[in-house]
Amino acid sequence: MSAISELSTLSKTRAEPARRENLAAYLFLAPWLVGLVLITVGPMLASLYLAFTDYNLLEAPTWIGVENFTRMFADERLHNSLRVTFIYVLVSVPLQLALALLLAVVLDRGLRGMAFYRSVFYLPSLLGSSVAIAILWRQVFGGEGLINHVLGWLGVAGRSWIADPESALWTLVTLNVWTFGAPMVIFLAGLRQIPRMYYEAAAVDGAGPLRRFANITMPLLTPIIFFNLVLQIIHAFQAFTQAFVVSGGTGGPSDSTMFYTLYLYERGFGKFDMGYASAMAWVLLVIIAVFTAGNFVASKYWVHYDD
Amino acid sequence: MTIRTALKHVALGATILIMLYPVIWMVVSSLRPGDEIFREPGLLITDLEIENYTLGWNALGHPFSHYLMNSALVVLGAIVGNLVSCSMAAYAFARLEFIGKKFWFAIMLMTIMLPIHVLIVPQYVMFSEVGWVNTFLPLVVPKLLATDAFFVFLMVQFIRGIPRELDEAARIDGCGRARIFLRVILPLMVPALATTAIFTFIWTWNDFFSQLIYLTDPEMYTVPIALRSFVDATSSTSWGSLFAMSVVSLAPVFLAFLVGQRFLIKGIATTGGK
Amino acid sequence: MRSGTLARLAVAGLLLAATAACGGSGGDAADGKVELRFTWWGSDIRHQATQKAIEAFQKANPNIVVKGEYGEWNGYWDKLATTVAANDAPDIIQMDERYLREYADRGALLDLKTQKDLQTADFEPASLGAGDVDGKLYGLNAGVNAYSILANPSLFEAAGVKMPDDTKWTWEEYAKIAAQITEKSSGGVFGSQAYGNDEAGLSVWARQHGEALYTPDGKLGVTAPTVTSWYQQLLDLQKAKALPSADATTQDMIAPLDQSMLATNKVAMGYWWSNQLNAVSKASGKEMKLLRLPSVTGKSTENGNYYKGSMFWSVSSRSEHPAEAAKFVNFLANTTEAGDIILSDRGVQPNLKVRAAITDKLPPAEQAAQAYIEDIADELGTVPTAPPPGGGGAQKILQRYTQDVLFERQTPAQAAEGFLKELGSEIAG
Repeated sequence: MSAISELSTLSKTRAEPARRENLAAYLFLAPWLVGLVLITVGPMLASLYLAFTDYNLLEAPTWIGVENFTRMFADERLHNSLRVTFIYVLVSVPLQLALALLLAVVLDRGLRGMAFYRSVFYLPSLLGSSVAIAILWRQVFGGEGLINHVLGWLGVAGRSWIADPESALWTLVTLNVWTFGAPMVIFLAGLRQIPRMYYEAAAVDGAGPLRRFANITMPLLTPIIFFNLVLQIIHAFQAFTQAFVVSGGTGGPSDSTMFYTLYLYERGFGKFDMGYASAMAWVLLVIIAVFTAGNFVASKYWVHYDD
Repeated sequence: MTIRTALKHVALGATILIMLYPVIWMVVSSLRPGDEIFREPGLLITDLEIENYTLGWNALGHPFSHYLMNSALVVLGAIVGNLVSCSMAAYAFARLEFIGKKFWFAIMLMTIMLPIHVLIVPQYVMFSEVGWVNTFLPLVVPKLLATDAFFVFLMVQFIRGIPRELDEAARIDGCGRARIFLRVILPLMVPALATTAIFTFIWTWNDFFSQLIYLTDPEMYTVPIALRSFVDATSSTSWGSLFAMSVVSLAPVFLAFLVGQRFLIKGIATTGGK
Repeated sequence: MRSGTLARLAVAGLLLAATAACGGSGGDAADGKVELRFTWWGSDIRHQATQKAIEAFQKANPNIVVKGEYGEWNGYWDKLATTVAANDAPDIIQMDERYLREYADRGALLDLKTQKDLQTADFEPASLGAGDVDGKLYGLNAGVNAYSILANPSLFEAAGVKMPDDTKWTWEEYAKIAAQITEKSSGGVFGSQAYGNDEAGLSVWARQHGEALYTPDGKLGVTAPTVTSWYQQLLDLQKAKALPSADATTQDMIAPLDQSMLATNKVAMGYWWSNQLNAVSKASGKEMKLLRLPSVTGKSTENGNYYKGSMFWSVSSRSEHPAEAAKFVNFLANTTEAGDIILSDRGVQPNLKVRAAITDKLPPAEQAAQAYIEDIADELGTVPTAPPPGGGGAQKILQRYTQDVLFERQTPAQAAEGFLKELGSEIAG
């Protein structure tokens, strides 16, 4: 799309430096381009091809046209997984980013022992995808878990929060918010990049901490907030490991934590329907791409770059 | 002021306690006799049991240090690969004008939008054709070729936050692009590089699926695969050993983070800026 | 356009090359030895025992090297599917009944009857059927199992309820006993775990009603009224407080064995496989007892039970060394040398001679499980056919509908209809 427009603007009469810049750019891009062509594109095209086939992994794929895609309209479990995934994305991403930003600002500077706090707050994220998390989460949200012990002191009868279809998804939202370490670290790094002299100048002007945050930190941090937003949305749409581990690979109870990717995986590997799974993957790609493109368009109005 | 500081510490400490309950529970459980783990809800240890550690260390075909070493090798390769290749690509996207820039950028973003589960089979076919299965190559070589677009995008955002006047000044001094990249941009994006290194460490260390698929010989197993070898849902699992080795495998990442996060702080803010 | 077609062709070619001939698995070590790859799932205890068996085999067969590749259940199947897809499958594969025909019907497994090195003469005849598809043996039974009730006698005693005579008990008696235990126990103990976690339970119920989960030609053999009655009984049991609450049951379904309600002494009875007796007893600290499943008629000979292969030995059809692979399987299945090492880790030994030779070496609970298997030998019905391709998903589908029934999100009739429709489309597709 824009490649064509850029091609047309490039006339032969343009100055020599433009050609040299082109060359330099492609040299810098060389490793990535090689990786793209040799490693990434092949499997992606393969999955695109498989999306139009009946492929059970054990026998060669057979071409069936768009049948995989038309089957999706009648697949109620797919619709349910879309619903579950959208709730998860729309609720957990803003919460997680808000918590990450808050703690990054608190942990940025000032207190002694910050290095320790920063590391400790990252600990949950280290555990987030480990096998042990299934047991730990049951230890907190299970029938005999911590939450119910606390409720017991208050005289409230609890239930197994991970096993009730009404609440299971929310324990996974909590789990995602709990593992806020990655965006927090990226925020921290971003905060560190803001030249201190801006703050000094603002202090001279008599701006209080809140005004400094609103007028300096927020605007200068927008590229990083934008990055976190885009990536966490992509990430949340692809949420898999935590739901897989906590629900024992079932997406249960009653499909209440059956994320899109989990369902895709169940079709592909559990039911030997890799053609359908590939078609699902490309539908997901389109959904994510729409969200991402929307983000990029919206970013023109709120993200400030220094260049 | 000191009271406020103390209050801040108390608040942070309390938050940590609530948030870390699961982590603490795991550490405590790793020090309990196996049959007590699920019968005792509290966090107090009555009798200390280090046997879980000695048993877990030797429970699989090799001592656990073997898997730690394998993981360390994969992680090291991945970190070097990501730092070099992603920063180069990011510099091009963030600072240079070239034909097809937006097109390539969109393609790059697209590569992170497909779930791995539909890519793994064709990828496996490809790597098995070149005989790379059961080596670390399928896990490391892609990183050398910047296939982790997440980090390219991350670094692009950071480089765009560096004032452009700095490279303009260097260019007027007669620096070429390679020198601007090495002398100006790289030193200023240390926080982004540190972030990349830390995340690559942690994510590669924990990555289960691709390591499971590509490493077949137990000789080559890494920590995540070894950990899961303890679990058998249909029979009894040595939870004590599993938790003990989980704690052991958590230690290097935690240390890496503790060390790495110092570099997060070395941004423009401390190096002086313009 | 052109390049798109080209790319498609290239990709298709790559996959075809991988799925078609050109044999990728196995290989020869540099010194002229034959190298076999052998894969299994399990826990660290099984890994150690199996590794020892491999060493014993290599000692007896110095020209064969066996490389063990092990892992945990979920990852195991992803990896197996991927390696088979890439024509890179291990030579010897530990197989589960649910996936046996999935692989066999698609030509991934070798007919073991073609291998003269593999003997089955000493096998319990009833144990061979399940690996048999259309007269071809794609999986050799590695351990005999039967779906059963595991009971905790100490909880019966605490509640003052007598253990039933399991050769005569009916579902009504079972319901009464379970409700009584809940009523007379303290501390939140319930009479029984819910069924509906494993499709084996439905299979047995179907057989008690003259039906079968699957017909021999791989279609659904159970009717909606039968499934409805099964779910109705389950719901009645829950309403009578014979079973724990729906959320507790659901959590129990995904809990690892050691954290299940039976192993943590919170229910007096549960539905398990007979070879899990030892593990549950160990985890709970109580000596569990195996009971036959209740029947409609009150005769254990009519309770529809059968021997299931807890797991199978299969050989890849693309193995370059099928003879050596068969030799290794033969070693695992038919020698007391291997039996002494593996004991009953994979279920009761199907080879009667090996079984007799190792009995004394088993821990008491394993001996009890073996005695149970032998006791019910004369009561069994015909061996059911292995599930057709697509049957691997039956358990997850069933669990979902069971949960819907228990949470009363669907009536038993709705759930039965939904279950049959979904499973039906799964095995047809």
